[in-house]
Amino acid sequence: MKLLTHNMLSCHIKGVRSGYPFLIEVVKVSEHEADFDTDFLKHIFPRINWPAFLQGAEAMGCREGLPEAPNESALEDEQFQKAFHHALLEVTLEEGSLICPETGRKFPVSKGIPNMLLNEDEC
Amino acid sequence: MVRVVPNKGGSQADDIPSTSGREYLAYFVHRLLEFRKPELESLAQTVGCKAEEIRWRAPAGDVEHSPFWYLTLPSEDAALQISKRMILTKMLVEVWGEGEDWADLTAAIQACPQEVKAPWLGPELTFRVVVESFGSSLPMDEQLELIKRLEFIPFKGAVRLRDPQARWAPLRRRMNGEGARGSLGGVVPARLYFGRLVGSSDRGVIDTYSLRRRRYLGPTSMDTEMALVMCNQGGVRRGSLVLDPYAGTGSILVAAAHFGAKVMGADIDIKVLREGKGGERLTIHSNFQQYGLRGPLDLVRLDTHRHPIRPDLAEVRLHAGRPQGQRAPIYQRKPPPACAFCCNPLALRCATLPYTQPYTLGECLRDLLELSARLLVVGGRLVYFLPATPETYDKAEIPQHPALELIANSEQILTTRYSRRLITMEKVRPYDAAAAAAYYASHPDPTMSIDKLHDIVYEQLPPQPPSSSASSSSLAAAAVAAATEGGGVDGGTAVKPRRRCRGKNF
Repeated sequence: MKLLTHNMLSCHIKGVRSGYPFLIEVVKVSEHEADFDTDFLKHIFPRINWPAFLQGAEAMGCREGLPEAPNESALEDEQFQKAFHHALLEVTLEEGSLICPETGRKFPVSKGIPNMLLNEDEC
Repeated sequence: MVRVVPNKGGSQADDIPSTSGREYLAYFVHRLLEFRKPELESLAQTVGCKAEEIRWRAPAGDVEHSPFWYLTLPSEDAALQISKRMILTKMLVEVWGEGEDWADLTAAIQACPQEVKAPWLGPELTFRVVVESFGSSLPMDEQLELIKRLEFIPFKGAVRLRDPQARWAPLRRRMNGEGARGSLGGVVPARLYFGRLVGSSDRGVIDTYSLRRRRYLGPTSMDTEMALVMCNQGGVRRGSLVLDPYAGTGSILVAAAHFGAKVMGADIDIKVLREGKGGERLTIHSNFQQYGLRGPLDLVRLDTHRHPIRPDLAEVRLHAGRPQGQRAPIYQRKPPPACAFCCNPLALRCATLPYTQPYTLGECLRDLLELSARLLVVGGRLVYFLPATPETYDKAEIPQHPALELIANSEQILTTRYSRRLITMEKVRPYDAAAAAAYYASHPDPTMSIDKLHDIVYEQLPPQPPSSSASSSSLAAAAVAAATEGGGVDGGTAVKPRRRCRGKNF
């Protein structure tokens, strides 16, 4: 699971109000090279919830080079682009889990694939 | 006697005078008839043409499913760009002349204005002639003879078969009398066209990704040609983000990755996503590796009925600063933010509804439309297959959403009783939760008549008259025996549903 996906997911258990963002429990992190595409970064940037992204990057150990609160102009900076690209699309959570900040429910991530299915009593 | 018949189907004079744009003849592959025009239109929009700049003109004979159609595009560059990706169109040709026979054609070519011809006849341009014939194939000697007859055109350049700078395509449509077979036999008049070949499609790509050689397959893997067409319909291009919420073995994602998109897959079935084929350790990723494509960004196990996508994701508008719904300016080289959903929700399952409660196709599509209406950018597209049978199909039943507009609806006939329709929808306005809620309140029941597919498949046949001959009575006895075995309690009198296909449920 990449941080891009982490940024899109929130806990959907019935009744949960503040299920975003998921806390990340890391067992194993790997890196997969992704095609660098400035246009894609610019297109996806406004959709990223930055505090959640930083929190995820912290947990995955790729926080370096990411500013606290970047604005659109930061996207022109090559250093920033590289750090953003790396943390967003290359660093992968192979094994671990996503933890709901409200209920503590763990959604397991194995072989890079988060299992977001709910149990019958949760929906 | 020479009769000059420029175009029977609709002469230039009758048409609205074309103030801008250039007209090309699209020579279609003669299959998936309802898909061919929408594919070219979608591609034209993908390369930046505005919808109003794309115009169709019927060919001579005025047959809806003719393999030739005239298409006006804003520029030659657009035609070139389109031809690099088109799957269901063989070539785009700038026509210099057409006619019912050679005399007509010769006269038309000679009548073609000098300013069109001159730039392409210079001595510095190498060229070759590509003969195409629809309805029958031409042996080489006939092709050569055809080329010889073109010698009246003052070609000055040198012939070069490999990588010529200009290509010429005499197209021949021979339908009446000889070789009049197939769906158009006797309907389309014979016709000759000659023109400059602007671009031809690379249908070899279908074979490159052929399912026969793909390593990881499932029972519903999408046919390569169709997956590529779906991506063309969805406007998938470099820099797009494509999500298939019913990814399965990733056959649509592979096609999207071929066009340079970043892809994500979701499925409810963890086995197909994570475990793959046992023993050889084949997964979706091995399919991408096989073709040297960059693998999917992520795969997620989720249920589209109760999905974990954060609720505020749609509120970030991507087309900020641009009026709503306006398309990217023409030939903007950098890809505009586009996001497409391409999926095939046929193999559906829902985990959050108890097994006793069926998850109908109508409900599934409502979930799908709702999710895409929220996640797509304005201008982004949703492409999916809708199963249909001729008896139950009703255009009014196609699921709708206030934020989405139907772009194309193309039927692919599978058998006499079943077909599927490729539905293309575009997000035309920002997502508005209130409008969506109002729409659902006015349409509370999403069930479609195709949801009764089980009944359609196992339809009750009218009672059969008692069999008289000995041979058929033994067959009937066997049938009754099989029926009682299958749970029939009320004896032989009631009519048993006849089994029409092997599939148990949808």
